[in-house]
Amino acid sequence: MTANIEIRNVSKQFGAMTVLDDLSLSIKAREFIVFLGPSGCGKSTLLRMIAGLETVDGGEIAINGERIDHLPPGKRGIAMVFQSYALYPHMTVRDNMAFGLDNIGVARDVIDARIAEAARILEMPHLLERKPGQLSGGQRQRVAIGRAIVKEPKAFLFDEPLSNLDAALRTRTRIELAQLHQRLQSTMIFVTHDQVEAMTLADRIVVMNNRRIEQIGSPMEIYERPATKFVAGFVGAPAMNFVDVAIDRSGDVITVTFADSTVIPTDIASNQVVDGAHTFGVRAEDVRIAPTGQGNVDGKVDVLERLGERTLVYTRLSDGQIIVASDAGNSRVAVGDTVGLAFDGRKSHLFNETGRAWHARRA
Amino acid sequence: MSAPATSIKGRAFGDRVLLALVILLSIIMIAPVLWVIGLSLKENAELMANPNSVFHAPYTLKNYINTIGTSSVFRWVLNSIVVSGGLTLATLILSSLAGYGFARLNFPGRNILFVIVLFGLAVPEQAVLVARHQIFSMLKFHNTYHGLILPGLSASFGVFLMTQYFRAIPKELDEAAMLDNAGRFKIFWKVLLPLTVPAQATLGIFTFLGAWNDYFWPLISATKKDMFTLTVGMASTQTNFAQSEGIGFLMAQAVFAGAPILIIYLFFQKYIVTAVSGAAVR
Repeated sequence: MTANIEIRNVSKQFGAMTVLDDLSLSIKAREFIVFLGPSGCGKSTLLRMIAGLETVDGGEIAINGERIDHLPPGKRGIAMVFQSYALYPHMTVRDNMAFGLDNIGVARDVIDARIAEAARILEMPHLLERKPGQLSGGQRQRVAIGRAIVKEPKAFLFDEPLSNLDAALRTRTRIELAQLHQRLQSTMIFVTHDQVEAMTLADRIVVMNNRRIEQIGSPMEIYERPATKFVAGFVGAPAMNFVDVAIDRSGDVITVTFADSTVIPTDIASNQVVDGAHTFGVRAEDVRIAPTGQGNVDGKVDVLERLGERTLVYTRLSDGQIIVASDAGNSRVAVGDTVGLAFDGRKSHLFNETGRAWHARRA
Repeated sequence: MSAPATSIKGRAFGDRVLLALVILLSIIMIAPVLWVIGLSLKENAELMANPNSVFHAPYTLKNYINTIGTSSVFRWVLNSIVVSGGLTLATLILSSLAGYGFARLNFPGRNILFVIVLFGLAVPEQAVLVARHQIFSMLKFHNTYHGLILPGLSASFGVFLMTQYFRAIPKELDEAAMLDNAGRFKIFWKVLLPLTVPAQATLGIFTFLGAWNDYFWPLISATKKDMFTLTVGMASTQTNFAQSEGIGFLMAQAVFAGAPILIIYLFFQKYIVTAVSGAAVR
């Protein structure tokens, strides 16, 4: 069973504070959607409204065309995995998984069969008679997912379920979640503030900020053509480099000029860009380290982050601005060196003061 | 090398001194109990002639046989069990329900009501005694079990303890249960209440021991010998029957009286220690 979910003009207030403002979103059946955004952006609130754990102050939510925002949580046909897992500590794993089915009067043999199947999928038959206190964090996580699976819901909701796991386990569980989605072919909504989780898991990412949706798109769309400056800065590690610039749009493409008079040609079409103050944006991998004097501008190396497959070079320009460049894993650059920085104008971005974005034609 | 060795030796000596002190204190604590048991195993006439006879044979179970045969102590123990057990059960039920309500339900005046409940902690029993006595007289509640139980049900401490305990349980559990199609009572009964067992045990033990040892209200409310609780009954024997019935006989009654508490302690030792130390049982 799977579901398409329609969220139409939804609003939410907590007292005088508006948490979500006239938000609309359409989620297709079998889609893996990730709500991504900083803490307090409203992503968990939206998830909880879909689950029925928060009331909807304005607008409506429908599953498969049927309004569900007036239904209690248990009647919506959805299952949720909580950040803290929320397993019942006094019940065994089996009882945790059976509880929801017992409550709707599912026959005992059906419950047993579903639990056995979920345990097989999640490779945890040996854990069924244990209590949550006897399980590791990763095992609890599996049980929480198992509890959701046995309900055979129309949609799965995940509220930052990986944030309590250590780094290695988080990576492994992320892959398992992707496999689970492929196997179950269910609609899944996943809330996170971790962009790596979002990029690796999502069919589409919903980037949220400050009570509203900034952009909806596939991970690569979001990464390569961010709709706003916020998205450009939030998605990607390290964050996109931003430099305040003056623009020259006398030609077909924009040319930007840094405060120190450095001129960089871009591949951004001139006729699209409106007047005003602009910020030039370029990702670290699109800034190449060059010999001194042979790039667009020189910078002094402040910090090196050696990540193995690449080295992030944090350089300071003469006007104090920091530019991060990506160099080879075995980069010979050292802290204190002065290096040239060559910007790839074909993969650059431009933002104005309202956050609106223009992209190079090949970005 | 020598400094740590000296430190370990010093610590070992300190431990031994501490152990000796603990043993000494234990002997001081248990001596009266052994004395009571010793006296209960001696003939009354022999004790009257020479109290030191408790230290040597012959010993007898005659006082216990007489107690079983003739004493009112069984009736008093029964009364104490009914009053303490009833009060404990009712307190646990009321405090749990009230605690859940204060911790989880949103209703108008909740915070004010909770403050009023907390004020109950500051009102001493003596302050309401006369009024309560008058009301109970009018209602003819004296010399009844409910007359002995009802005053203890205004358990501010219990409501406070259970409220705090329910508040400490993550709300995600309620929410998970809601998604599991459980109604409010089922969430209370099947999900949250089992998690409060340590608090229930603490509250139950304190309530039971408090009711078992209570002397003041039963002395006022229970005036008929048949309705005496153990504390009132034992006090009456010490003032009235010590000469006529003999010290050995009274001590045998005391052993009977103390047995239920000892049994409770043996069963709930872990929770009592936890309750006293104020730590959470996991």
